[in-house]
Amino acid sequence: MSDEEHQFESKADAGASKTYPQQAGTIRKNGYIVIKNRPCKVVEVSTSKTGKHGHAKCHFVAIDIFNGKKLEDIVPSSHNCDVPHVNRTDYQLIDISEDGFVSLLTENGNTKDDLRLPTDEALLAQIKDGFAEGKDLVVSVMSAMGEEQINGLKDIGKN
Amino acid sequence: MMQQQPHGVAPDLAQLQSTMHAIELACSSIQMHTNSAAAEATLLSLNQSTRPYKLCQFILDNSQVANARFQAASAIRDAAMREWSSLTGDDKKGLIGFCLCYVMQRASSPEGYVQAKVSSVAAQLMKRGWLEFTVAEKETFLHQVNQAIIGIHGIDVQFSGINFLESLVSEFSPSTSSAMGLPREFHEQCRKSLELHYLKTFYCWAKDAAVSVSARISESGTEVPEVKVCTGSLRLMLQILNWEFQPNVTSAKAGINVFSPGVRSDLTASKRSDCNVAQPGAAWRDALISSGHVGWIVSFYAALREKFSTGRYWLDCPVAVSARKLIVQFCSLAGTVFLSGDEHMQQNHLLQLLSGIIHWIDPPDAIAQAIESGRSESEVLDGCRALLAIATVVNPILFDHLLKSIRPFGTLTLLSNLMSEVIKVQMTKRSDDETWSWEARDILLDTWTALLMPVDTSAGNTMLPLDGINAAANLFAMIAESELKSASASALDEDDGDDYLQASISSMDERLISYALIGRAAVNVTIPLLTRLFSERVALLHQGRGIMDPTPTLEELYSLLLIIGHILADEPEGETPLIPNSIQSDFADTVETQNHPVVILSVSIIKFAEQSLNPEMRAAVFSPRLMEAVIWFLARWSCTYLLSEEIGESDLHLLQNSRKTLLSFFGEYNQGKSILDIIVRVSVTTLLSYPGEKNLQALTCFQLLHALVRRRHICSSLVLLDSWRALARAFTNEEALFLLNSVNQRSLAQTLVLSASGIKNSESANQYVRDLMGHATKYLIELSNKSDLKIISQRPDVILPLSCLLERLRGAARASEPRTQRALCEMGFSIMTPVLVLLEVYKNESTVIYMLLKCVVDWVDGQIAYLESRETAAVVEFSIRLLQLYSSHNIGKISISLSSNLISEANTEKYKDLRALLQLLSSFCSKDLVDFSLDSDESQSTNIAQVVYLGMHIVNPLISLELLKYPKLCHDYFALLSHMLEVYPETVGRLDSEAFLHVLGTLDFGLHHQDTEIVNMCLRSLKALAAYHYKETTSGNLGLGSHATPVKDPRGDMQDGVLSRFLRLLLQLLLFEDYSPDLVSPAADALFPLILCEQELYQKLANELIERQVNPSFKSRLSSAFHMVTNANQLSCNLDRMNYQRFRKNVNAFLVEVRGFLRTV
Repeated sequence: MSDEEHQFESKADAGASKTYPQQAGTIRKNGYIVIKNRPCKVVEVSTSKTGKHGHAKCHFVAIDIFNGKKLEDIVPSSHNCDVPHVNRTDYQLIDISEDGFVSLLTENGNTKDDLRLPTDEALLAQIKDGFAEGKDLVVSVMSAMGEEQINGLKDIGKN
Repeated sequence: MMQQQPHGVAPDLAQLQSTMHAIELACSSIQMHTNSAAAEATLLSLNQSTRPYKLCQFILDNSQVANARFQAASAIRDAAMREWSSLTGDDKKGLIGFCLCYVMQRASSPEGYVQAKVSSVAAQLMKRGWLEFTVAEKETFLHQVNQAIIGIHGIDVQFSGINFLESLVSEFSPSTSSAMGLPREFHEQCRKSLELHYLKTFYCWAKDAAVSVSARISESGTEVPEVKVCTGSLRLMLQILNWEFQPNVTSAKAGINVFSPGVRSDLTASKRSDCNVAQPGAAWRDALISSGHVGWIVSFYAALREKFSTGRYWLDCPVAVSARKLIVQFCSLAGTVFLSGDEHMQQNHLLQLLSGIIHWIDPPDAIAQAIESGRSESEVLDGCRALLAIATVVNPILFDHLLKSIRPFGTLTLLSNLMSEVIKVQMTKRSDDETWSWEARDILLDTWTALLMPVDTSAGNTMLPLDGINAAANLFAMIAESELKSASASALDEDDGDDYLQASISSMDERLISYALIGRAAVNVTIPLLTRLFSERVALLHQGRGIMDPTPTLEELYSLLLIIGHILADEPEGETPLIPNSIQSDFADTVETQNHPVVILSVSIIKFAEQSLNPEMRAAVFSPRLMEAVIWFLARWSCTYLLSEEIGESDLHLLQNSRKTLLSFFGEYNQGKSILDIIVRVSVTTLLSYPGEKNLQALTCFQLLHALVRRRHICSSLVLLDSWRALARAFTNEEALFLLNSVNQRSLAQTLVLSASGIKNSESANQYVRDLMGHATKYLIELSNKSDLKIISQRPDVILPLSCLLERLRGAARASEPRTQRALCEMGFSIMTPVLVLLEVYKNESTVIYMLLKCVVDWVDGQIAYLESRETAAVVEFSIRLLQLYSSHNIGKISISLSSNLISEANTEKYKDLRALLQLLSSFCSKDLVDFSLDSDESQSTNIAQVVYLGMHIVNPLISLELLKYPKLCHDYFALLSHMLEVYPETVGRLDSEAFLHVLGTLDFGLHHQDTEIVNMCLRSLKALAAYHYKETTSGNLGLGSHATPVKDPRGDMQDGVLSRFLRLLLQLLLFEDYSPDLVSPAADALFPLILCEQELYQKLANELIERQVNPSFKSRLSSAFHMVTNANQLSCNLDRMNYQRFRKNVNAFLVEVRGFLRTV
């Protein structure tokens, strides 16, 4: 993980930067990290040393936030790692189309129709069933490094 | 298939035969793993059938299948325990007699495990009836056993007799007895009775049996069957000597409190090592001491040893092992068994033993050599254990003196030589597998510990005699050499095992403490030695810079720092440690401060540490690991020596010489402040110049800095130091410090705030805190006011500083103290609005949410006691808004992910949040208990109970039963709930029915929890609830009102009121389910008010239970038991202490009476 590759983007579109460098020692469990160019959530951090009198290094076990795959990495703790910019946005669910796309209501009143339903049967069922029961559903969409996915569901009728 | 056999009618033979075959079949199919479910069911039905005795006896007598006989024996035991109270006296005696005869008659049977089982069944039945049998009845059985042990029926029967006594003694010993579903008092009475009346007799029987066969064993050239008897007897004798003898308590109340019969002084002693001090008391003197019995066992072993000296296998033979164990146990004999005026009695006893044991351990070098070339090590290990046992019962002077009458040197010299030899063996063979030398070293270290740190401090003298000191010094030099050698050899290991200081210290800790004791026993020699070793290593580093690999030297320094730290100072955890005694007193003649060995050593280490400030030296020498040891040392050392508070210039002359020298040298008026300055600068270096070294930084924050600011005296020097001010400045603006990890961040903030206690003027102390934390509050306020907050908030470069500052705020909040309370209070109020804004923005970013919550929780916890009523109201309002906001974000929320791992992480995060919220509510509860605020205006004050219930009402729906499976959350939840129900039961009555039902639903859940403590809390809640309702209704009030009355559920069925429901539940639990005996009393406390509230239902339930009984005798017993529960002991309808106590007693008696048959019917 080298620190030079990632320059901060110019102020004007700082929000567009996909990743940020951050010292490995400051990344903790439940934080985010990029491993093998995938955005991941850290589920385990352990430290060890390079030889008894060497420097500390961090061993990360992390899970790809989109496909659930497990990835690991070892980085000297004073070096920088990439941390993905993970964004979460809530949208009200308006419709589920037959070809597997959802129709979402954005904050400014437009619709967003480019998001697929999850492919996994169980997750799919959770959303479809809720929608079919006529609940007021808000879906939470997670996006990072150019990908996005539905990762949460909330029945706002219950409030 | 197990039909009930009508009492007294003999079942016919064919039926017995067929049942036996069924059992045999089941046993063999379990062994073959075929159809095992059915087979287990068959065996279970045998175990649970009524009066299976005839059948079982038939199987024992006739079956050819050993397992079937085993099962039959176990069925007899189970059935008899269950039905004991309904058996006649003759039945009981018949069963015991049958079992005893069985083992005697079949003594030569090859299936030893069946014999052992039947023997233990006999022992258990005997114990069950112990208190009801007359002395004559017991004598009859024991006479039979005695006859067997005397040996008139042959060797096998003799062995069976001894075997039976072993089972019996182990049944009666509290730590090995089997459960019988009876109260502890029963076991205690049995134990006492056996100890007083039979134990010594048994011992003598065993002794006589051993003596009677010993001649035959030592004469015969080959293994004879008598060996078995001898081994058994020795084992039984050892077992009896291991008995936990209770000192005689003569006070009149001795019989009442069975749980603490007298204070046992040796309790801690036996905890420390596996050496169990035997104190059988004066009554045993004739049997153990005056009979010359010890001489016999010692010479018996010596004779056998001589005879088998060529056979190496012999040392590990059972008879040799048992004999040695017995000899070792004799070494630990103490107390009134020796005449109290006669010191020589114990000395002679020990000398007699030692003269036998000495051959096992002396000369050490020859023995070590023999073991290395293949001899068994068990004898020398037992020799070490014997030394440990002797060291535990005598003082060092006597210990040393013992050997002098038979050798030209003392026991301490032998101990030192033996251990040096062991360490030599260890040095030559550096392997990871634990060899005998490891075990020997640990036992011998324990021996030194027992000598130098006696548990019973009243014994006083732990000073060693002169040659003992020399022995300790020699040994310590050997230890230091060996540790250094193993350090340099392991320096290049990649092995991660004990890479960390904490890990290596805790694994070495026991050992280091013992080393330190040995080193302290000869400080005059060992401290100069350590100084020399240390400066040699440092010089070597300087010479070798750039030329050779410093790693082995670094590792040696690391080890040395740990050893020196342990010698110079005690563990600082808890109280402020004093300078160790030997260091205080043993340097009496040193006058010049500069030349005091401890000063020289300490100063050389501190100077060494100071070199780490130089960047070049740091890069070349101070590896993170070495730095950890340096920091650890500085922390430990400074707690004892640095700027000691007790030293005022004036009272210096009152102190002992050495102590005075040391404390004044490192005190305020001499070197203290400059050393403190060095320490602070070294700490700052570890925080700034070792990026990412979390462990080193944690050590600096938690061990070193925390320890410093804990002492106000040091704080007042700290705040005046430029280096400390520089650290405070760096804290607010140095980027490197933002990179500390979260716990260190928190700890550093806490430390810096705490140091304000050293500022005399309260206003400047508060200003100091404001300056320190201003940057954090300012950042939060600015961030929350940003117009594009929503867009930038999720960027990692925003989250990182935010998390860091939240940790700092939380750390500062934890440093709450009266002096700086104002500033911290303002800090909290200023971030309330930002916190709510951020809670909204980060609702999907669980890590930030958790930090926000914890920050609030810690702040409220620290401040709540000081807040004035107006402030309290504001904090309450803020907290409720926080709860509502959190709840609105999370209720009905489902996270979905492909990864089950991430889902469970999400659950864990939810659990942690909820736990934080419960903690918030709990801190509110404390406001009613501890309140330091000045105003007493009742009108403005907030009703805390209502607030907490409102809070619980918001939080509860989020706590699913699924989440209650997290033990800590569960614990916190029920702790809060039981507190609320006990202190404010009236408020719960006013809850709406949905909230109320949720609360009670969780109580129901908690009652069935596995954790006893949680069940206990639920029972307390129930008691509080029912007691409240009862008291209110009897005085004409509503109590729980509609909650307690039956209601129609939506389907139109009648639902019980809550109290009725819990009454049913509790009865069910008490009578039919498994629970810890500790719960009986709290359950009785809850049951009592429930019964009073719902008397009709209770009668109804009792009647139902009675009617369900088919067996008429059980029926009548049950109904009279039910009658006794509510009527015995003059129980009345008042809920006072006396009545609760009576009711507890009644319930106990009730359960003993009926639970046995109710559960199985």
